[in-house]
Order: sequence, then C-alpha cells, then structure tokens
Amino acid sequence: MAKFSSSQLKILATAAIGGLALAGCGDSGSTQDEAAGDPQSGGTLIYASGDAEPDCLDPHYGGNYPQGLISTQYLETLFTKNEDGETVPWLAESSEVSEDGLTHTITLTDGITFHDGTPLTSEAIKANIEHLQDPDTASSTGFLAVQKVEEVELVDDLTAELHLSAPDNALEESLSMHWTAIQSPDALARDVQENCEAPIGTGPFQVDSWDREQQINLVRNEDYVLPVEDPERENDLAYLDGITWRLIPEAATRYAALQSGEVHIIDNAQPDTIQSADNANIGHLDSPRPGASNRIELNSSQAPFDDQLVREAFIRAVDVDGGIQALFFDTAPRSHSLLSSVESLGYSDDALFYRDVDEANDLLDEAGWTDRDDDDVRMKDGERLEIVMPVSTNQSVPAEQSLFEQFQAQASEVGFDMQINLLDLSSWYAALAEHNYNLVSAPYTKVGPSVLRILYHSSSIEPAPSGYFANNAQVDIPELDEILIQAEETPDGAERADLYEQAQQMVLEDFYVLPLYDQQNHFLYTADVQGMGEASAIAAPEYYNVWLTQ
Amino acid sequence: MHIITWLARRVGAAAILLWLVATVIFIAIRFIPGDPAEAIMGGPGSQASAEALEAAREQYHLNEPILVQYGLYLGKLATGDLGTSYAQHRPVAQVMAEMLPATLQLTLIALVIAWLIAFVMAAIAARSSRIGQAMGTIIEVIAAAIPHFWLGAMLIIIFSTWLGWLPAVDTGTVQGIILPAVTLAIPLSGFLAQLMRDSLLTAMNSPFALAARARGASEGQVFFRHGFRHAALPALNLTGWAVAASISGAVVVEEVFARPGLGRSLLGAVLSRDMPMVTGIALFSALIYMVVMLVVETIEAFINPAAARGDDQ
Amino acid sequence: MTRTGKFLAGVFVALIAVAALFPSLLAPGSPLAVHPAEAFESPSLRHPFGTDESGRDIYTRVVHGTADSLTIGLAATGLGMGIAVVLGIITAFAPRWIDSVILRGLEVLYAIPTLLMALIIIAFTGPGTTPAIIAVGLSTAPGYARLIRTHLRTLVNSEMFDAATVLGHSTWRKVRNHLVPNTLTTLLALVTLGIGQAVIWASALSFLGLGTPPPAPEWGAMLASGRTYLHFAWWMTVFPGLAIVTVAAGATLLGRSVTRRST
Repeated sequence: MAKFSSSQLKILATAAIGGLALAGCGDSGSTQDEAAGDPQSGGTLIYASGDAEPDCLDPHYGGNYPQGLISTQYLETLFTKNEDGETVPWLAESSEVSEDGLTHTITLTDGITFHDGTPLTSEAIKANIEHLQDPDTASSTGFLAVQKVEEVELVDDLTAELHLSAPDNALEESLSMHWTAIQSPDALARDVQENCEAPIGTGPFQVDSWDREQQINLVRNEDYVLPVEDPERENDLAYLDGITWRLIPEAATRYAALQSGEVHIIDNAQPDTIQSADNANIGHLDSPRPGASNRIELNSSQAPFDDQLVREAFIRAVDVDGGIQALFFDTAPRSHSLLSSVESLGYSDDALFYRDVDEANDLLDEAGWTDRDDDDVRMKDGERLEIVMPVSTNQSVPAEQSLFEQFQAQASEVGFDMQINLLDLSSWYAALAEHNYNLVSAPYTKVGPSVLRILYHSSSIEPAPSGYFANNAQVDIPELDEILIQAEETPDGAERADLYEQAQQMVLEDFYVLPLYDQQNHFLYTADVQGMGEASAIAAPEYYNVWLTQ
Repeated sequence: MHIITWLARRVGAAAILLWLVATVIFIAIRFIPGDPAEAIMGGPGSQASAEALEAAREQYHLNEPILVQYGLYLGKLATGDLGTSYAQHRPVAQVMAEMLPATLQLTLIALVIAWLIAFVMAAIAARSSRIGQAMGTIIEVIAAAIPHFWLGAMLIIIFSTWLGWLPAVDTGTVQGIILPAVTLAIPLSGFLAQLMRDSLLTAMNSPFALAARARGASEGQVFFRHGFRHAALPALNLTGWAVAASISGAVVVEEVFARPGLGRSLLGAVLSRDMPMVTGIALFSALIYMVVMLVVETIEAFINPAAARGDDQ
Repeated sequence: MTRTGKFLAGVFVALIAVAALFPSLLAPGSPLAVHPAEAFESPSLRHPFGTDESGRDIYTRVVHGTADSLTIGLAATGLGMGIAVVLGIITAFAPRWIDSVILRGLEVLYAIPTLLMALIIIAFTGPGTTPAIIAVGLSTAPGYARLIRTHLRTLVNSEMFDAATVLGHSTWRKVRNHLVPNTLTTLLALVTLGIGQAVIWASALSFLGLGTPPPAPEWGAMLASGRTYLHFAWWMTVFPGLAIVTVAAGATLLGRSVTRRST
C-alpha cells in the first residue's frame, strides 16, 4: 500500500499559540513556526499531568485514558487515524477482510524492533490479543475491543489471520486505540506487575523509571524506526532526549507551574486558564476525544426516570447553555449529539434540547408529581421526587462539578430534590454497580461509532465479567439492539451510516441522554515547545515531532 | 530506681503500646464494609474478574482464619514488614522509605524557621511595652489561626503568580522548598511564640537576671545568657508536639505544593482505601513521636534525675 | 482585659452569633441560588466579596457558612471534650495502674498527629460532614484528656482540697465547692480555645475533599473550589479564608482571656 508522511498520517489537533503571538506584538510575539526555525534535537520535555497516577503503565491492564495518554509515547498500534479521520495502517503494512467478514488478514511492516531488541513479527499480534483476553491481565477497554476475535492464526513471520465470531467492521478502529497497543511478546510473558512497571513496545520513547507519586521518566528510543516514510525527517529518532511525566493533581498549581516555566506542557487545563492563556503567550492544543460526547445519562430502569415525561422535565429544567458559557467560557462548544464531534457518523438534534421551566413544571404535573412537601419538593403517592447523581471527582473537572451543582439548584426550582455525591473513582464505580444512581456522567472513549453498541445495547446493562456495565441509561429497546448489531456487521458503509443515525435518533428522542459537550482534552504549553499538534487515534498528543527551542 | 531500669521500662511500655495500636488497627480494618480483595484490585470499579479476586485473596492470605491472619500480620510487623500496598502493589516499607526523606526535609526546615520566627517574635514582645505586648499577642494568635492551605494559596498568588519570584511547585530545588517550608512554619511559629514568651518573661525577671543586671551586664547579655537559656528548656519539651504538628501540616502543604512525601501518600491511600499504606504510615508516625519523646525524656532525666524517678505529674 | 478589649470581644461574639443563628439578618439572599450569567464578578458594592463560578454571592455564602463551619467546630470539640472529660476523671481518680495504662494509651493516640489521625478515621468511615466531626473530635480528644487529667490531679492534691478534707467536708461537698467550679472554668477556656482549632481542622478536611461536600457554604469547601480559580478570581479564596482566620483567632483570644480570669 502507499506510504504517507507521518504528519499526513496523523490526526492534527487544533494547536494555537496565544492571540498576542499571532498578532505579532512585542519581541517574543512572533508565531512559533516562523521564529523557531528548524527542529533541534535535545532537551527533556517536562509534562505535568492532572490525571490520577496510572496503576499500571501497560494500557492493556484496565485501560483508561491516562494510560492511553502516556503509552502513546512508548507503544504503537497496528492502525491509526489520518487527518481525514480515516483508519490507516501503522505498525501493520496492510490488511484485508474476507468476503464473509469473519477473517481479517494483517501484514506487519518489516524491520521494526521492540525496545528489548526482539523483532516485530506476527507472533506479537497473537501474543497481544491473547494477553488482552487473559483474565489475569484484568483488561477492560482493550478486552471489549477485541471481544469478537476467536483465534489468531500465524500465516508467516509478518502475517496473521484474525478469525472472528461475527463480522466486526469496527475491528481496525479498535486496533488503532492504545488500549490494544502492541508490546513485546517476551515482555508480556513476564509477571503482570513487572510488565506494569515498564512495558516494552516499539515507540519513539521508552520507559526508563517510575518514581511513584512523583514522575515517570521516558527516554528516547535510540533505535526507533518510523513505520512510515517521512520525507521531512533526516533520521527516525525523536527530537527530545526524553519526557519527564510529572504528576501535579491540583489544577491551579499545575497552571502556576506552567506560567513560571517549571513545566512545558500541562493536561486537563481548566477552562479559565485556557482563556487567559490566550493573553499569556501560552499555546493551546484542543484534542477532543473520539467516541461518546460528554453527556448526562438518565437511568430509565427505575423511578422517577422510568417515566419519559420526568426525563424530559429534568432536561427542560436545567440551563446547560448558561452554565457552559459561565464555566467553560468559549472552550467547550455545546453538543446535541451522543457522539464526539470528531466522529463523522454523529447525529445531532439541537431542537430537542432547550430550557423551559414552565414546560418542565407542566410535564411533571402531567406525570402525576403534583403534591409538594414542606421543602417544596414534588411528591407522588407519598414518594418524594428524589434523584441521585454520583460524580467521580477523578473524571469530572471542577468546572464540570460546578455545572452539576447549577443543575442541582435549577432542578430544585421545579421540585426535584437532586443529590450530588462526590466520590472517588472506585466508590463511583461501586455506586453504579449497585444501581444507586438516577443520573450519571460517564465518559467513554472509543474510536468509531461502534461505541453506541457498547453504550446503548441492552446486553450492556448486564455487567461484563469485569463488573462494569456501560449502558448507564439502561436503554432496553429490542429494535435498537437489532439496529446496533446490524450496523456493526454490515460491510456497506452507507447502510452503516444510516443505521447508526436511526439508533442515535431513538436514544435522543426518548430523552435518555442530555448531551453537554465533547469530552474535554485541552493541553497548554509554553512558547518553547514546537511542533505540537499530532495526536494518536484516541486523540492523545504525540511528542515524536515535538522539539524545544533552547 | 536506676536510670537504665527506667529507660528499659519506657522502651518496654512503648513496644507494648505499638502492639496495642497495631491490634486496634487490625480489628478496625476487619470492620470496613466491602471486600478487601476488591480494594487490592483497585476497588469495586476495577472490573477485576472472579479469578483475579481469588488470586488476590490467596496472595494476601485473606482466606485464612482470622487468628492466623492476625498472627501473620504481627509476625510481619515484628520484622519491619508493613505489608504490601493495595494500590501500588509494592511493599509499604519501601514506599515509605522513598517518601520519608522529602517529608523529613520539609518538616525539619519548617521547624527551624518556626523556631527562628517564634524566638524573634517572643524576644521583641518580651522586651516591649504593654501595647507592644498586646500587639505581639494578636500577631501570634493570628499566625496560629491561619490554615496552612489558605496561607499556601496566598503565598502562591503573591510570590509565584504576581511577583514570579518563587516556583509554585516544589521541583526539589532550593527555591522550591522556600514557600512550602514557610507555609508550614508560620502557624507553628505562632503557637511556639505564645508558649515561649511566657517563659522568657519569667526568666528575664528571675533572680539570676536581676543579679546579672546588678553586676552591670547589659540587657542584651542578660537576654542571651539567661532569658534565652531558660526559655530553651520548655522549648525542648515542646519538640515532640511540634514534630507531630508539623507532620499534620505536611499533609496539607505537600498537597498544595504538589510535593511528594508521606503526607501526600497518606492522602492518596485514604482516598483509595489502601489500608496497608494507611496503617503503615500511622504506625510509623506514632513510632517517630515515641522515639522523639524518649530522647527528650532521657535528656531531661540526665539533667534532672529526680523528675524521672518521681511520678508523672 | 481592657474596656476596649471587652467591647470588641462582645461585638465579635454578637456578630458571630447573629451570623450563625440568623444569617438572613446580615445577608438576606440565598447562599445556594445560582446565577450563571453573574459568575466570577470581582468585589463590588452589589457583591462586596464578589461572586463564585456559579454566580453565587460570596458574602452571602460566607455569612450563611458560619453556621455550617461553627456547628462542625462545636460538635467536634464537644465530642472530643466529652471523651476527654470521661477519660480525665477516670485517670484522676482511678487506681494508679489504670491511670498508668490510660495515660500511656493517650500518649500513643497523642503521638499520631491530629490531621493524620483524622485522615485515618476517614479512611474507615468515608468522607462527609459527620465523619469529619467524628474524625476531628476523636483526634483532638487525647490532648484534652491529658490537660484535664493534669488539672484534676493538681486540684485533688491542692492545699485547698486538703484543707477541706481536714475540715471533714464530705467528698460530694468537696467536689461541688472546689472541683466543679474550678474545672468548669478550665473546660470553658479549653472549649473556646479548641473551637478555633477544630474549625481549622474541619475546614482542612473539606479542603482535601473529605469533609462537607459542595454546594454547602462551608468555608473549607468554598476554599477548595476557589483554589481552582486562584490565579484570576482571588476573592473566592481570600474571603472564606479570612473568615476562618477571624473565627479561629477570635476564639483563641477569648479563650485566653477566660484562662487568665480563672487563674
């Protein structure tokens, strides 16, 4: 197949250095590309992360976004996404799907070696799929992504056949995610714990050491081979000597560290700091995650949200637009879709979502919630109109927590008694597992629209063997189930798009979900950092082409 | 009673108390709702399989009878094995050994700064007029009433955001430790100054001081020869308390300045219900305090053997 | 205390009491009402302390938060003091070996720094307002118990007490005439001093996300949310913090004057 330059091959997230710089004011105020000149090698990039420290640096284990962010630097995937959002080969050189859709043949690029010196062969594909499916790995995201793979057959040194239990037109998208990244079979054979400490892949950087609760140290892979040709590169090595991945959980501290130049890049940037970054010669990278939009799901399996009127009443009662404007400034455009704005098959309907307090009151009256107690909370048959929302403090940034607080105040105006429980991640999962929620905001990142099957197919109400269930709205419509399965199995692109649109309409129109905005993924960086903008398929920034002005 | 016997009794008592604390903690952990195996695998949300949970139970001896578990726990404690962190899957003792130097460095520097500030404040207040003393009292009380987390935030705004003089994050540089140490020291100095001033005042009006003045010594000489010396003794007695107080403060200060250390480890362990880590840090801080107190009491016992023999009042 | 001092102390106590009991007299608005369109306004005549990220008036929240923060401080101090009084009485009057055991036990508890102990307790109970009260109460109790024990022992061994014994007064009379009045004053002083510290510890827990959750206008919780916006909305952090300092320092000064009067 044809080879592309790496910059063409990669998603380009929107990167911009502050407005001042673009306007060309002041001595330092020239745009970075003009002033910076040619890329220089050397220097260690200091990255400050606000995420919870990963338990394990191998993204097969569990499989959350922070693991994806860091492993993007040292592991590589079989496929990736290009600028146009198409899935294209990366470590794979080519792939083919059989007529019946049950066999995917993947051929690897020749001449790639792992950090431990072993060459990349088809054996690695087999070992990695089996590692993901092994219960001892405790994989969740990657496990679900390769669920349909029944067997991996080795054809020759570089070719493997993946035999599926049912057609899966999302398989290559799944294999573009870092939760299924390819690691050295020798390394995977080690103890889980050992592999967690220092996974061994093929990426431009490799894990050097891990100072718990402080930082993870990555160094340049001196034997890196870029799987594609890039005419702009003299050699294949990364420009940076290494990356220091610091953990600074507190948002204001992180931003202060960036301002004073102690760190080069911060993630989980707060909306207010993004806004002020424009005036501070600080660059901003907006990299919305693929998969689901950030949304509130209304649990339809139990009262009061088993009644569609009550679900609609809640959606009418809260002021999403006002809250987003106040808390997110202009950094988070409102979404009216189940899917991220980067998903080409996303369906959006803004006519469904607006605020109207009178209508909310009428809907609740119609639903029979007409009595009021002493606190002015609505009642029906002696039951109070109580709704509980567990909020994960690891997943919802402070601005989002404040948005939910505003909803709480606004919902109480029409007679809801809304309770917000701020929980650590583990207790939050437990609350979901016990069905102790009426509302929830649960992020889900996956490449491609097949995330809809994971989120809204009735089988996702049943907990997976792992204990987690993804259908938090507990949508249970047989017709929808059929559409979602068909959409995943059809080889016809147009039919696929049409089926996914029908599915999204069904979920939106019955008010199971209140879409808010894209899953936020904002990075701020100092003016020293050049070449920002490339990202992996899961929208994690890549630092392969990034360099520092000295 | 001989001083050696006294010392042996004290050490013995401390050991028994550590055992009691360990036992209480062991029992308390059994009362926590939820499956410890789940906590080991990262909590109920970790999506651990039944097999993985069983393996964890096996690895941490959760299937053994409770008394066997207790025996294993004590046996390990006796050899300095504090167990394995649920969250980090590493020996607690190892994690603590890594975090301890940073916390010790912070608390020791803060203690020195706090003593300096307290001494200067007490010295000025002790030698000034009634109004000056009243002002001194108010300043001391306010200093002692400032929460660390607020002070830290204010210092970050002023010295990092506005003036840009000092880093907001402690990166291990010399400049990096200034703000955290000062944040930790100021409230502590308020307490210490209050306590020190009383003893300074007493000392400055003592017969020794009067005699020295009569011999023609200057106020400065009197102050340093007598006042300071007499104020230092009660200060020594307070060291144990001050160490404990600064460890409390370190939890907050480490969090505010993103500085790694025991305090931040404990906070993380509490949030993730990593009980071996929590108990390890608890036992260790109790041990630190006991050692400090033992040293202080021993010094006092050598200075004044009667106090050691007499009863505890 | 000087006349001015007394006057100032009176005004202070009255203000705090009004803020805690009748907050609407000082701040008629609602501390929970959100106005997204008025978010992040800096201090002005309309909003003397500015507004927060949801457009809530910070002055109103600080005033209404007095009750939340003081209740926690009082309840925690009450709990700690209750336990301490029981232990203090036992150790002061029980046989020497019991005294010895409890005393050593207290020393160990005292050995674990206050905030560490509070965190350990929260590791067992989980976060929340009640756990914060329990945690702060339990972790301050050992310190109080030691003070009360020393106080009682000193009193029992005092000349006054001996004299009463020589005079043939009954135990009950001795307790009523000497022990109770003396001890009450000391307790009052300790409670007043303790509330200030309890407010600080409790707000520290809220600040760490382990105490009172938002949107309650508890000062520590307000500081925690203000910290996110520290670099451009300083008023969200400054004013709740000043409230904590004022109450804690005020309580300490009051406690000291009570102590001085009693000795």
